Amino acid sequence: MIEIKNLTKIYKLNKKKMMELKTKETTKKAADNITLTAKPGEIYGLLGPNGAGKTTTLRCVATLLTPTEGSVSVCGYDTVKQSEKVRENLCFLTNEIKLDPHFSPKYLFQFFGKLHGLDDATIEARRKELFEYFEITAFENKRIEELSTGMKQKASIAVSLVHNPQVVIFDEPTNGLDIVTARNVTDLLLKLRDEGKLVIISTHIMSEAEKLCDRIGVIIDGKKVTEGTLSEILAETNGADLEDAFFRLYKEHHKEEK
Amino acid sequence: MKNIFKKELMRVFSDKKMIFSLFILPAIVMIGVYSLMGTMMNKMESDIEEHVSVTYVQNVPEDFKALAAQTGYDVAAEIKYVAADASAEEVEQIKDDILNGDADLFVVFDKEFLAKAEAYQNAGDPIPGVKLAYNSTMNYSSAAKSMFEAMVLDVYETNLLQNRFGNMDLLTVFTSEDELIINEDKANGLMLASMLPYFIIMMLFAGAMGLCVDAIAGEKERGTMATMLLSPVKRSSIVFGKLFGLSVLSALSSVVYAVSMIIAMPMAMGGLGMGEISFSVLQIVELLGIMVSLVLFNVCILCLLSVFAKNSKEASAYVTPVYMVVIVLGMLTMFNVGGTAPATSSYAIPIYGSSLAIQAVASNELTLAQFGLSVAGNILCVLVMVVVITKLFNNEKVMMNA
Ligand SMILES: Nc1ncnc2c1ncn2[C@@H]1O[C@H](COP(=O)(O)OP(=O)(O)OP(=O)(O)O)[C@@H](O)[C@H]1O
Ligand SMILES: [Mg+2]
Repeated sequence: MIEIKNLTKIYKLNKKKMMELKTKETTKKAADNITLTAKPGEIYGLLGPNGAGKTTTLRCVATLLTPTEGSVSVCGYDTVKQSEKVRENLCFLTNEIKLDPHFSPKYLFQFFGKLHGLDDATIEARRKELFEYFEITAFENKRIEELSTGMKQKASIAVSLVHNPQVVIFDEPTNGLDIVTARNVTDLLLKLRDEGKLVIISTHIMSEAEKLCDRIGVIIDGKKVTEGTLSEILAETNGADLEDAFFRLYKEHHKEEK
Repeated sequence: MKNIFKKELMRVFSDKKMIFSLFILPAIVMIGVYSLMGTMMNKMESDIEEHVSVTYVQNVPEDFKALAAQTGYDVAAEIKYVAADASAEEVEQIKDDILNGDADLFVVFDKEFLAKAEAYQNAGDPIPGVKLAYNSTMNYSSAAKSMFEAMVLDVYETNLLQNRFGNMDLLTVFTSEDELIINEDKANGLMLASMLPYFIIMMLFAGAMGLCVDAIAGEKERGTMATMLLSPVKRSSIVFGKLFGLSVLSALSSVVYAVSMIIAMPMAMGGLGMGEISFSVLQIVELLGIMVSLVLFNVCILCLLSVFAKNSKEASAYVTPVYMVVIVLGMLTMFNVGGTAPATSSYAIPIYGSSLAIQAVASNELTLAQFGLSVAGNILCVLVMVVVITKLFNNEKVMMNA
């Protein structure tokens, strides 16, 4: 279970970042008073345009960032005060977080297994199961740098699942993958959900959110503008489909801003 | 922590390229450079010995030929006689040759050199002179001048004095005899002492540089640091694991440097004419102690700088100026050999103190207090830096570039 309460994250901007964002302000409110709850056995999707604050929110959940205000708890543990406990219970996957290219999937699997305090037998059993599922047994001894992008992605998913986490966080799960690998990944997310895990993802792809997510939270400019199942959102906005609904919300939000 | 330590070691030992660049290449380069240095210096020396210098002489005394034959100078040098009435152009030409290295020496005796010398009676009588023109920037030319003085002029002087006074002992007011009372170890050590700190400090730092930058900034750049931060391990364990792993690796690589230096030194020292160097057990223990503290210091400061960098390139930019400072600190002591002894307290300055201490070990003069101070100075800084690095690992601004 993930509980986000009034999460606000403010970045301090240096000169370079200010230039990038074309702003004169010295801070950036990337997450603005977000409150949401996600439960085991569901796929929760954060949907929003570029720069909406999806990655920021997920990083706060994964203990990589500390909230400026508000709090986040995972499986009942506070992400700031009990960050090690939180990390024991979740895995966080993105395109930016990668495996060391000099090592083999097998070595890294064992390495992270040990960091999670698992014994050799458990690690070995998990490895058999996951490597077979992801079909990486054939190249488990090759170095990561020798693998193709898809293989790398599979290997890093397998490695991050070594400790059988209750919460799976995935920032843009299908970004940069071909249809086949992307399908593999979405299948896995569905499988994890059916096992009773909590899956939370971020995306800006409407079809992905429609097909995959049990509940969707729409984030625009750091604020959660609405939340619910697909049909709930469509009903609320009178949208024909999610894309339509999204644009209505987007316009609505920007009218309020002005 | 143990696992992270092991992984750091695995990283290097599972990679042939890393093993090569970290352990094999330095050894080859060291031995190569030193043996080259040795052979070059040997070659230079034997070259000068073999070279037959070209000497022009003008207005030679009548018995010059006989004297040259007697002392063997006519064989040692090629003598070319210049006519007494040689034109100014001819003289210019000879001087040009000396400038170019085609000739080595031009000697002009005063006219009636011997007659004047023999006629000398009282103060105020004319004293004959000899002019030696040579090029002090040319090794051959300088050598030719020294040879001419020793084999010709000194002999003339002795002969003439003998004639003037009959008994040479009249000229001897007293005799003096040098007895060298030096510490053999110190004499040999002095040469070594001037260079050893520089070499050790430079190689220890250089050995750790690439490793640390890659292990911290490189991991940040590749996104593998975040993976590590997501494991339920205390940040301090990650820091300790990494620092220990890197220290062991850089210590190993400096052992390789040291061993290849010991193999290669005699080759180079042959050229410098240096004696055998041997260390006592105490000296070796002291040296190891200083080096271990230095390795820890280097690893910490390199990691500290790398933590702030987003990628390896940026880290290298931070590290390079520090490398320069380290080299200068190592060199400072190189020029201080035999000079005034530095204050004991300066031994506590990291790196510089170690440099002084290594120098003192080599010349067998290190006191226990100095040894203690130099190690303590490094270790104290290490402790402070470890605390700071751990703090930084907990800082999202630094670790996540946020
Ligand atoms: N480290 C940082 N320092 C300063 N500002 C940042 C930092 N990271 C993100 N931001 C800013 O915060 C806002 C939210 O960024 P975030 O990465 O969370 O968005 P996102 O929803 O994940 O976008 P995308 O779809 O592009 O991944 C953006 O305006 C971004 O420029
Ligand atoms: Mg993002």
